[in-house]
Amino acid sequence: MTTRDILDDFFPRDASGRPILTTESGRLGVVVGGSLSKGLVVKLDSGQSVEELAVGRYVVVHGESRRFFCMINDVSLNSANPAIQNDPPDISDPFMREIYYGTAAYGTIHVAPMLMISEDGKPKPVKTIPGHFMSVYNATAEDVNDVFGAEDATHFNVGAPLELEHTQINLDLKRLVERSIGVFGKSGTGKSFLTRVLLAGVIAKGQAVTLIFDMHNDYGWEITDERGPKVKGLYQLFPSKVTIITLDAESSRRRNARYDFEVKLGYHEIEPEDIAMLKGTMNLTDTMIDAAYTLRKRWGEKWVKRLIDGRSDDIDEIVENSNIQGGTLTALQRRLERFERWEFLVPETVTDSVKTIIDLLVDKRQNVVLEFGRYGNSLEAYILVANYLTRRIHEAYVEKVEKALGDAAMEPPQLLITIEEAHKFLDPLIARQTIFGIIARELRKYNVTLLIVDQRPSGIDEEVMSQIGTRVTALLDNERDINAVLNGISGAPGLREVLARLDTKQQAIIMGHAVPMPVVVKTRGYNEEFYKAVMQGDPLDGKPAQSVLGTGGRSRRVN
Amino acid sequence: MSVHNLEIIGRVLRASTRGFCCGTNSANINQRHDFGAFVKVPITNDDHQWVIGLIYAVEIKDDLMISELVMAESVDPNVLRDQRANRMIPVEVSVLNIGYYDGDRFFHSLPPRPPMSLSEVSLCTSEEIATFTQRSEYLRLILQASEVPSDDLVAMALRFASLCYPGQEDRRAFMIHNGRQLARLLSNDLKRLSHILTLIRP
Repeated sequence: MTTRDILDDFFPRDASGRPILTTESGRLGVVVGGSLSKGLVVKLDSGQSVEELAVGRYVVVHGESRRFFCMINDVSLNSANPAIQNDPPDISDPFMREIYYGTAAYGTIHVAPMLMISEDGKPKPVKTIPGHFMSVYNATAEDVNDVFGAEDATHFNVGAPLELEHTQINLDLKRLVERSIGVFGKSGTGKSFLTRVLLAGVIAKGQAVTLIFDMHNDYGWEITDERGPKVKGLYQLFPSKVTIITLDAESSRRRNARYDFEVKLGYHEIEPEDIAMLKGTMNLTDTMIDAAYTLRKRWGEKWVKRLIDGRSDDIDEIVENSNIQGGTLTALQRRLERFERWEFLVPETVTDSVKTIIDLLVDKRQNVVLEFGRYGNSLEAYILVANYLTRRIHEAYVEKVEKALGDAAMEPPQLLITIEEAHKFLDPLIARQTIFGIIARELRKYNVTLLIVDQRPSGIDEEVMSQIGTRVTALLDNERDINAVLNGISGAPGLREVLARLDTKQQAIIMGHAVPMPVVVKTRGYNEEFYKAVMQGDPLDGKPAQSVLGTGGRSRRVN
Repeated sequence: MSVHNLEIIGRVLRASTRGFCCGTNSANINQRHDFGAFVKVPITNDDHQWVIGLIYAVEIKDDLMISELVMAESVDPNVLRDQRANRMIPVEVSVLNIGYYDGDRFFHSLPPRPPMSLSEVSLCTSEEIATFTQRSEYLRLILQASEVPSDDLVAMALRFASLCYPGQEDRRAFMIHNGRQLARLLSNDLKRLSHILTLIRP
């Protein structure tokens, strides 16, 4: 052996011929302490810069007989001798810097074990921790693939883990839709884009049909991105699978957005339960709601219109023959008069909108986007319509599921109902009574689940939150919101730091039922590449339905 | 492991397992006797085992003649030259044991036995130094030796060892590797660490 060979053994070189000073390629450090509940402490090797390690990134601890998949949730600086803080060395000389870093002064990372991969390669829940001084490495693409699997008929690529941009995080859509989903994040963090990506996945893979209460016209037709360019709506991606219906045809025409039909709801279809949902937003008292029930009982299904019209003999008759005070009645009447400003509410309807929507969802397996147009700015209208339709659709689903008597072939398809501003529906004061609270709690029993989009998860009933299967969370900085999202998640203390430090765009933590472990993803770009990937397999392949079907007006599509 | 005549620096005068002294005469003193040089000597009654050490002191002895010459008011240059070139002035070279070779590999610990008197002490070859310094445990033996100027010795030894590496980058890498080892060993004495690092800084 020559001197040169000996030297090469001692100082391996990198591709550019420079000596490699780290111990093993890709190794970050060794486990020096920790516990299952509080996570592991890893001392970084010399040459590992703490600046390169971000919270949320994956690392793998190679134990004696298994690999532990972990997430970095804290990074800290330490020193072998605390006295160094009183007299710090001069590190302006690179030589001195290289010696001191990693020895007298070193970095540590705190990692939370998320999963362990045993010798058979299968991921399992973590029930133990690796021993002392086990090596810690950056997670490789193979490690990620071992955990999240490949994209297939039920798995959908939603993005890449941090620092591993050539790998994919594939959500198990079957598991995603079988329990309710929450998409949370403060305003401007891309919740709508995130939701659109998830919905596109569900529609593309046909794992459920969706009913989207599209408050701000974000999902159906093309939308202007905050950064400028227009992006495609779900209809443009899946023309054969998506139907757009609207409450405000005028708005659709102004936006040059296509729609399939306009929804009109009759006053006679409104029940006191629908009014009760508006208690907070319309400032209704319990007495007014009781009055609504009495009016419904006495006047029948036309009670709303009759109250709004407010003929004096009608009012007098109620005041005289019931325990409703005149003042209460007048106050309720004044509030319900707002309904007259909503053109989608009409005295009589020709078609049954609920039946049409159920036919679309169940028989034609269509995904329905209900655009609110200008009524999206009216929270009362949004809550009324969403509650009204959902309650009836849920009733129909319950009936169909019960009729199927457990025969899966007869059961209606899994339905995912998307609502925004969810805390208005799932407020702790009303969640127990509302249909959304019921759906969230009863899980997959009747094949209906929710996709709730919200910026204030702390405003959602705790019991409902606990029933949300998968939580997709963009940046949150309010302590109460963070607590609400992490409530019931194992390893929550570590995830708290990660959650509070997400980028404001295109980053989210996904945790819960659809992923084997909590994962921070850089979400897929919603762009041409994405369109191409999800549109493969659509029979219309992105062409307008009219041009393929060859008939129908601008506002009517042949189904 | 063998001895080449050119690299012999002296013969063992006295020895222990911690170190030894070897003697030579002043006419032979040259760069081979530099402070911090790596030397080797066979262990007593064993041709296969060699002690590896570092020169930590070179002492030129005096005698009456030199004492008189030093005290003289003026010394003839010819006398001075004669004194230096032709007189046999004993020189003692002190060596700290930092490891041994057992015929198969190097150990960074004190040898099992000292070398025998009059054994030939020679310089280690650059291959031997490179192989010996692949690991850094010997640094601990130097730092813990109370009888030697350990800070300067460890710095000088590292500078010597680094010369075995041909390129600037390799020498720097060697120094950084050993500097880190020193930082670990001296984490409780930061001022001493800082001093040694200043001495080995390229």
